[in-house]
Amino acid sequence: MSHLFDHHGAENTGYSQPQGLSTTGQATVPKGLLRKNPARWPRLSEPEMVRHYTWLSKRNFGIDTGFYPLGSCTMKHNPRVNEVIAQLPGIADIHPHLPEHHLQGLLSIYYEMQHMLEICAGMDQVTLQPVAGAQGEFTAVRCIQEYFRLRGEDQRTKVIVPDSAHGTNPASAAMAGFEIVEIPSREDGRIDLDALAAVADETTAAMMITNPNTLGLFEADISAASAIVHEAGGQMYYDGANFNAILGITSPGLMGFDAVHFNLHKTFSQPHGGGGPGSGPIGVKAHLAPFLPGPLAARRTPTAEERIQAVDEHWYHWIEPEHSIGKVQQWHGNAGAVIRCWAYYRRYGNGLTTMSEHAVLNANYLRHAIHREAKRIGVDHLFVDGAETEVAKHEFTLSMQPAKEALGISAMDVAKGLLDRGYMAPTVYFPLVVPECMMIEPTETESKDTLDTFAKHFVEVLTVEPEVLHEAPVTTPVRRVDEVYAARNLCLRHPFDDA
Amino acid sequence: MVDQLPNRGRELEMLREMGFESMEALFADIPAEVRFKGDLPLPEPQSEEEIISDARRLLGANLALGQRPSFLGAGLYRNYVPASVFQLVTRGEFLTAYTPYQPEVSQGMLQAMWEFQTLVSELVGLPIANLSLYDGSTAAAEALTCAVRVHNRKASQPNTVYISALTPPDKRSVMFNYCQGAEIEIRTIDHLADGSLDLESLAEAAGSCGVYLEQPNPLGVLDENLVRVKEIIGEHTALIVGVQPVSLGVVEAPGHYGADIVVGEGQPLGSPVTGGGPLYGIFACSQPYLRLMPGRIVGRSIDVDGNEAYCLTLSTREQHIRRHRATSNICTNETLIALMGAMHMALLGPDGLRVLAERNLQACQAAKEALQATPGVTLVHDAAHFNEFAIAVPGNAAACLAFLDANGITGGFDLSRWYPEHDDRILVTTTDQTSSADIAALAAQLALWSTHLEVKA
Repeated sequence: MSHLFDHHGAENTGYSQPQGLSTTGQATVPKGLLRKNPARWPRLSEPEMVRHYTWLSKRNFGIDTGFYPLGSCTMKHNPRVNEVIAQLPGIADIHPHLPEHHLQGLLSIYYEMQHMLEICAGMDQVTLQPVAGAQGEFTAVRCIQEYFRLRGEDQRTKVIVPDSAHGTNPASAAMAGFEIVEIPSREDGRIDLDALAAVADETTAAMMITNPNTLGLFEADISAASAIVHEAGGQMYYDGANFNAILGITSPGLMGFDAVHFNLHKTFSQPHGGGGPGSGPIGVKAHLAPFLPGPLAARRTPTAEERIQAVDEHWYHWIEPEHSIGKVQQWHGNAGAVIRCWAYYRRYGNGLTTMSEHAVLNANYLRHAIHREAKRIGVDHLFVDGAETEVAKHEFTLSMQPAKEALGISAMDVAKGLLDRGYMAPTVYFPLVVPECMMIEPTETESKDTLDTFAKHFVEVLTVEPEVLHEAPVTTPVRRVDEVYAARNLCLRHPFDDA
Repeated sequence: MVDQLPNRGRELEMLREMGFESMEALFADIPAEVRFKGDLPLPEPQSEEEIISDARRLLGANLALGQRPSFLGAGLYRNYVPASVFQLVTRGEFLTAYTPYQPEVSQGMLQAMWEFQTLVSELVGLPIANLSLYDGSTAAAEALTCAVRVHNRKASQPNTVYISALTPPDKRSVMFNYCQGAEIEIRTIDHLADGSLDLESLAEAAGSCGVYLEQPNPLGVLDENLVRVKEIIGEHTALIVGVQPVSLGVVEAPGHYGADIVVGEGQPLGSPVTGGGPLYGIFACSQPYLRLMPGRIVGRSIDVDGNEAYCLTLSTREQHIRRHRATSNICTNETLIALMGAMHMALLGPDGLRVLAERNLQACQAAKEALQATPGVTLVHDAAHFNEFAIAVPGNAAACLAFLDANGITGGFDLSRWYPEHDDRILVTTTDQTSSADIAALAAQLALWSTHLEVKA
């Protein structure tokens, strides 16, 4: 083990600094504010620091380490040139308050990204300000809220979500002050139009839904659902978490949605960094555009003077929407993430459709391969599809309920068995509507060989003696971690000596 | 494009194995009336070389702060991030991991974040820290809603919080958006002419759910009055202090003068300014706030063999479990940037942080001395400052900044954008990256500006 707080190699600091500037008077802090006891930070020399974090990195699993079929998370390869671009001083060392003539490059990229996302989503205006998918949801429902307030429809206080929705949907709507109405999915995992029609009324502000849904199924009734909500006077909100399945094939606009968020870090490959950063732009139809957070990138013909500094035939500038809800982040969103996603988009251009096709091809192929391998070795009775369907979209679900009943093997056991075979486990126990659920999303950046090999390993796990599988994993840096112990014996920081 | 898709050329083989003859078959479930007609009206795909060439050209048209003397800060601070931080954070095992839902193969990031919690906890003087919110503004906003959740029942001013009247409007806007859903009213507390907090105005905040103040304040003033706030507002009103984390190398940790929650923009530790994001929001608190706080937390635990192991804990506060009753909707946070922060903190150590803070103090003092001696320029607040200070210039601030810009200096922030009542004030920001030559250039150009105006008059 390497413990940060056990290192004491540097006499003073692991990082020598130049002399400060000389001053005539004393550069000091008012007496009553002087820090008395310094933070008990470690004293590491640079080699110790580098070795500690390298050691930690070796105890972590990323896409670069191996196959990462984590459903709903779209763990695709992150092209490395994007990291090089994000370190250029023209993004890393720029301040959002610089005047427009010093930000023409950033503004032009913002404009290009807004425009590209508007095309892909079938929306009229995009803002890049929200910094994560959940913040995008929150921003959009705030815009919808203000839209209704301005129209005098204050009674629209409810947001409808299906029971299979991502947890962020109800959480974001509740944060904006909405009451949540949850509707059950049909037996086959799809939206229940009767249940929707029964709750949609003059108190409905919006319905939030993802399509394909969290089971990886395309909601063919989506236009009918949109019609029901619109009929009741509400707005349709598209959760873009599963956008990777449909780019260039259909769009939220075509399906009748009024607002959408994008998880740029999923669809456009901003590396997820162990939990973030992300980027969660939203797009809206024209009637909601005046409510978006500002500023937005816009463009016009340059003046003669501006032409000298222009990056192309346009002059780019910021605009404030008329009835803006204000800001959801203090600056212009996660500009560094937007730049990476811009580089990713440029790699595909009009070929984004091919990207989605391959994502769906890989998901369906993997589902097929798992069933094929299961039949081959005779374990096909131990799991079933989470939902019956001819084709899945970018992800699919399996229910381990039969294995649980027959052998006591849970979805979690299978997940841990996969860790022992060198894979990240699929998402487990989500969506909640599928018992013993495993949610598998291979993405388009995995080869057929990887999918075939994974399928073999997946079914092989089901042949392991249950009591042996309960012990998995055994090859990982630590074995099954006791989460109950963690919650009952809270240790949230290094105890030093005062514990 | 092709270089990202390993199964190009094998599509038909894979489709046929599934019993399909075309890619179209996989999309047969999408009704014709919602299908895109034709191709996406977007440009042709580019190669890596073309992309980086375009990126260099476009981003090269932006003005990097380091290209010339720059005094623009106002919440973001130019710093030097040690090379080892960049080298280590791009290791694929960190960079390309998702949230550590499978702790057995995520021990590296989990331990690093547990250490981050400890580093932040020690820095601000509070026992608990989460592993980051989006930025300083959302951390401040979430602190306000958290304070209401904790104190609302006992508050004599329920659903009410107070913030410094100096809080920048963009940050106030974020706070408003986060608070309005819970019908929380945000009131303001005034400051005196020297920039310090008006303790009489503060008295009105007693009995509310929380008070948000910054140290240094948004105009760079280090305010001794903050150490008296907690005794005035009392135990049932949360004291929330927003900090510039580097300042805590020399300035007392707010946890040591009564702060219940400390938030801040983590950027100066570990992250470049990056056009305003990704950054990371610091959020630390005392025990009573633990179970109602937002964000992820890592706990130290054991594995089945009794060995030390780490995992996410107290998840029942979070959206994926609690759904609409969650303490926050946050899911994706800023872990990787927080990791950069942890690496920078680990490298600095306590002495390195103190030296870094002193360098910031010295640069600020040097600039104040130079501008005080500059004809026409006056310092707005007679006070101690960290990083930045407000000046009044002859004529109009926007015109003065345009003059400086035309003469090769990014002169600072036009304070009329925050406080429209003054159109002659500029917030001048210095950091450890400010040189004596930068300051001399600013002073010389400001002197020219004053003369220029006199001549015109």
